[in-house]
Amino acid sequence: MSARSAEEALFENPNSRTKLLLRIGTIVAALALLGLIAVIVLRFYQAGQLQSRYWKFFGWFTTWKFLFSGLIGTMASAGMAGLIALTVGLVFMAGRLSTIGPIRWVSVALIEFLRGVPSLLLIYFCFLILPPLGFKMNSYWMVTLPIGLNTAAVVAEVYRSGVLAVPRGQSEAAASLALSRWQVFFHVVFPQAIRYVVPSLLAQLVIVVKDTTFGYVVTYGELMQNAKILVANYNSLVPVYLVVAVIYCVINYALSRASQGLNNRLRAPTTRPKADSPRMLVSSR
Amino acid sequence: MGDLAKLLKDFGPAFLNAALITWKLTIISYSLGVLLGIVLTFLRVLPIKPLRRLVGVYVEVFRNIPTVALLIIIVFALPDLNVLIDYEPSVIVALVLVCSAFTADNLRSGINTVEAGQIEASYSLGMGLFRTMFDIVLPQALRAVVQPMTSLLIGLMLSTAIASQVPVPHRELTGLVDMINNETASGILTFGITAVFYVASGLVISWAGARLERKVRILR
Repeated sequence: MSARSAEEALFENPNSRTKLLLRIGTIVAALALLGLIAVIVLRFYQAGQLQSRYWKFFGWFTTWKFLFSGLIGTMASAGMAGLIALTVGLVFMAGRLSTIGPIRWVSVALIEFLRGVPSLLLIYFCFLILPPLGFKMNSYWMVTLPIGLNTAAVVAEVYRSGVLAVPRGQSEAAASLALSRWQVFFHVVFPQAIRYVVPSLLAQLVIVVKDTTFGYVVTYGELMQNAKILVANYNSLVPVYLVVAVIYCVINYALSRASQGLNNRLRAPTTRPKADSPRMLVSSR
Repeated sequence: MGDLAKLLKDFGPAFLNAALITWKLTIISYSLGVLLGIVLTFLRVLPIKPLRRLVGVYVEVFRNIPTVALLIIIVFALPDLNVLIDYEPSVIVALVLVCSAFTADNLRSGINTVEAGQIEASYSLGMGLFRTMFDIVLPQALRAVVQPMTSLLIGLMLSTAIASQVPVPHRELTGLVDMINNETASGILTFGITAVFYVASGLVISWAGARLERKVRILR
């Protein structure tokens, strides 16, 4: 019956003493918050960071154009890495679920390896280790390929969780209609599995966007790299990095919210009982 | 095989050291991050609006900012505000901030897995806010977050690679690859050994997490 969350229930009917404490707490917290803001502003002022020479170039169109081109670079890399992850992840998952032993073992090894190392290490592999061996790629691929493959391994597991969440009756019914194994999988099971995992896939995109920050390591022109150039030109570290941080936060916040929104919609009681839906894989990087 | 033997002879201790640094950074940041995350969760659950807002903003900021961008801000921008933090502590601060935000988020969803009816029942039995929180809500909430907290620990271990981006006194695994690759020609081997350390640590953590999860989970 209770549609309310535990959080709400905890403080539903506070007694008079709790009420008083909460009221005092609110006032103290509000004052502390104001104090915190004052301290930060004072810090900026004392360090001279509020001087207009550190900020005035944000009034210029060229600055925003340059940051925007960095943003385009970030999106181009993140988009392609996402595409690689979705397709290669499908191959990995198919291998992981294969009934042929060797194919399954190789897939498991690849998945565990690619998602078990930092994406930065994979970038170093493409950036430092491959070129002396004669494999050269441009800076775009040096960021995009490692991130794409790293994410592909995670996505393979996300797909798999979706496939395993499709009730067995579905594939049994399809098999009894004389569909082949491939038909059962690609016409019946996978289309349903995809529906469950769309929110998790979208949440992975947040990690992809974060990882493209390493583009500056290989001097690929993404947002962070362009920020570094701005810093070098105007000697204005705090404002530039602050603005860039806000841009990253806004993009990723929008992606997380979209993922959560989809998750809530897909979990609506009309679609299917809650107990059957797969647990949403949370992004934790 | 000769290459491997030579690499291990020359850099064997360096690999072990780097692995120890990676693990040290992981353990310190995780413990501090989880503690901070628990405190934040308490502040966020209290019905005090300014506090809720503040913690909400904190969580969204540090969940969504790229960790390496945060590190660069701490190391290169904060000195302009007269805040000087040494390189290695900077790495830890960045990881703690991110870890605490994810912990707070996980714990809050953990708390919300407890049905409101249980809290009502507890209150109607005359148990106060604190007993309800510590005896009814938290034991269940903590059990519910074992899995996400395990993936957070693995994610945090992989994130320690950002330490290679600043001149820390002791190199961790990813920074070591950079160094050895400059000095020798056995790049692939170096990469392979490093990868083994990461993958093995991750597998151990997820194995331990899965065991713990099986032990404490609540079957509903």
